[in-house]
Amino acid sequence: MAPSLCAHCKTNRALILRPKDHSKLCRPCFLTTFETEIHHTITSTGLFTRGERIAIGASGGKDSTVLASVLKTLNERYDYGLDLILLSIDEGIKGYRDDSLETVKRNAEQYGMQLCILGYDELYGWTMDQVVEQVGKKGNCTYCGVFRRQALDRGAARLGLTHVVTGHNADDVAETVLMNLLRGDLPRLSRTTSIVTSTPSLAADPAANTHIKRSKPLKYAYEKEIVLYAHHKNLDYFSTECIYSPEAFRGSARALIKNLERVRPSAILDVVRSGEDMAKLVPDSDEGCGRVCTSSVPAAEEEQGGCGSAQGPSSGGDLATLEQALSSDDRAADAALEIEITTSSIAKRTAPLPLTVGKSRKVPKAPNNTRKQPKKQVMGQCKKCGYLSSQDICKACVLLEGLNKNRPKNHIEVGYEPEKEATSVAEAVKQLDVGAG
Amino acid sequence: MPGKQITDVVEQLCRRCTENQAVLVVRRDPLCRDCFVRYVHTKVIKHMESFRVRNADPNRQRKLLLALSLGASSVTLLHILDHLLETQTSKSGRTGFGLSVVFVETAGDASHQDRLSKVRQAYPDYDIASLPLHDVFRLVPDQESLSGLLPESATVEELSPADKLVTLFGSLTSATAREDVAATLRTRLVVEYAKSSGCEGVLWGDSTTKLAEKTLAETAKGCGFSLPWHVADGETPFGLAFNYPLRDLLKKELVAYVDVVGSPLPSLVLDSAPTQASMSSKNTTIDDLMKQYFESVEVNFPSIVSNVVRTTGKLKATLTTNDAPACDLCSMPVSDGRFGIHGWGGDQHGIADPILASSGRRLCYGCTRSIPSTTNPTNGSA
Ligand SMILES: [Zn+2]
Ligand SMILES: [Zn+2]
Ligand SMILES: [Zn+2]
Ligand SMILES: [Zn+2]
Repeated sequence: MAPSLCAHCKTNRALILRPKDHSKLCRPCFLTTFETEIHHTITSTGLFTRGERIAIGASGGKDSTVLASVLKTLNERYDYGLDLILLSIDEGIKGYRDDSLETVKRNAEQYGMQLCILGYDELYGWTMDQVVEQVGKKGNCTYCGVFRRQALDRGAARLGLTHVVTGHNADDVAETVLMNLLRGDLPRLSRTTSIVTSTPSLAADPAANTHIKRSKPLKYAYEKEIVLYAHHKNLDYFSTECIYSPEAFRGSARALIKNLERVRPSAILDVVRSGEDMAKLVPDSDEGCGRVCTSSVPAAEEEQGGCGSAQGPSSGGDLATLEQALSSDDRAADAALEIEITTSSIAKRTAPLPLTVGKSRKVPKAPNNTRKQPKKQVMGQCKKCGYLSSQDICKACVLLEGLNKNRPKNHIEVGYEPEKEATSVAEAVKQLDVGAG
Repeated sequence: MPGKQITDVVEQLCRRCTENQAVLVVRRDPLCRDCFVRYVHTKVIKHMESFRVRNADPNRQRKLLLALSLGASSVTLLHILDHLLETQTSKSGRTGFGLSVVFVETAGDASHQDRLSKVRQAYPDYDIASLPLHDVFRLVPDQESLSGLLPESATVEELSPADKLVTLFGSLTSATAREDVAATLRTRLVVEYAKSSGCEGVLWGDSTTKLAEKTLAETAKGCGFSLPWHVADGETPFGLAFNYPLRDLLKKELVAYVDVVGSPLPSLVLDSAPTQASMSSKNTTIDDLMKQYFESVEVNFPSIVSNVVRTTGKLKATLTTNDAPACDLCSMPVSDGRFGIHGWGGDQHGIADPILASSGRRLCYGCTRSIPSTTNPTNGSA
């Protein structure tokens, strides 16, 4: 192939075929274009305010590393006036986070950012290893998933921050749109497409976990371009060989997105656009309630599936499970229909097939109704930890209650106010560890 | 294949009548021939409730147009509706509605004419029209916006409808664009034919599986905004109603129905080429991908397929369709006149005037992806 010139500067040799639109760019132009697009996303959505302190959810992986690097670059170039902090969560699985946390530590130095690593022991009073010890290997995925969902928000609250940015990219958003269509979850589809999830206006107490704004500045950035950016910018990131298999839904949605991208490069963006447009068509969504109920739902719900402890795919949301639930509903509806048919006069075999269903009565609708009505989630705050929850007590607190009840007597009882108690618990646990070792 | 299902249920009794030998398993229930046929009919007739005789004005016959593709689904729909009308006549001496049929020809394929004449023989009571796709350049009233989609070099005034279609397709740069545009034009042709022949609604033969494919395909094409009108029963921005009476039946069930009912159905159905798993991405279309996807999901997870359709049915069109300007190609209302691919969060160019940026044509986001932007702006009206 004859060397072609960069479509942007028309001076340098083009080295990069942009995955998003297949334009040919030189290295500097690609990097600038990528950064400028993120800048455009940030400014056109009014994502940040001057002087804001922002936690970057950092895992050491490519997405969050690129996010940190780009935000640092843009903060300096366009003088956003942001105070950026790296926030990492340590689930407390021996060995699991070692490499990624080392990466994050190096990133903190490279970018001159403050780093805060918070462990599950500090946030919940339990490390995942301890949870596994308590509940066995089988059930711990539930814990990991629920704890992980709240961890960044709890961590940010601990640091006194109100805004967490995560590295979710366009591929993730597109995947979630398809997944929620397959799962039939319109409320979630509607909320995961918006760039900001969770709004601070709802919470009265600024110290509560509810006061956390979550956003994804890489929402329109292609995963492939993130990889290219990290590569050409020589970023130091930890390429995680995913040790868990994603749940079946996410897996099949992901494969579909990759195939779509091959057929039409813009397809990822197009799915995101469809998702945004469809969010406006979801009954009782943003329009219906003045943007309060949808956007105030814990953003972390959209967190990637799977769990770090490599215990296999999580059971919730699995294709087969959903199929079973749905099909028994269908059978109930059919059974109702069937009663209707058999009670109406049906001709003998030789006669023409009955084509009008029972003339006298309507088809019973009852069995259907339970599912047809979209479940309306009323979001409130967890009475124990203040985290947004549709229940009185949030899932994490329910799980913690169970764990703590069964904690061996010689352990210290864990209170339900992680703000106050967790530190002492963490210390207590540490002392115990020392004693045991 | 039904054959395989039959061997699976050998020696089982039908779960519904508990009398006859089952011939296939439907959503986990072994069913005999009669009970299966009844199952299919019931599911269809449920959606034809509003066209019962007692709802019909004796002085004014309502007319519906069935869009026939000669696939297993639409042939089955014709067959069942024929039964329905026959039963209505025998019971009350009149019918709840009148039925016309239209088939849209695909260029360069003559095999369908043979099937079509068999269909006419099998169902002689209906007017079964066959139209070439390029008739869309004859029947659609707003020819100006439609011709504006042709490339700049084309001297529109001198072209026949057939030439216009060839020119338009020649300007499209991918297989998926050609398929998407063809499907859109087909819908518009069926709509115009329905209007010109006095039909108040169109009956589409889309199965649950097809509707699920369409949901994800339209989403992937950036047409999520128009889904309420593509999948739900009821009024559409076209000014007439769409109905999908097969919406509760899976594709595989309709294929089995053709087989179970037998003559004349199998001889009427156009053999569809099996969807290839490994086509080059150059020739693959978005519709192909979704077809493959749901063909595999349908095997083990039929309820998930129905759930996608049910979920999409909950989307509510917000804008009053009369107020919003329509897309030149698909005719769907575009809210706030947000034409083209610019002027939203995912557009990184920040072009202030979306209409200008789309070279004067008024195309919705999704259609802009199919029609190349380097074509003729002359016919676009601002
Ligand atoms: Zn350049
Ligand atoms: Zn709680
Ligand atoms: Zn039976
Ligand atoms: Zn359009």
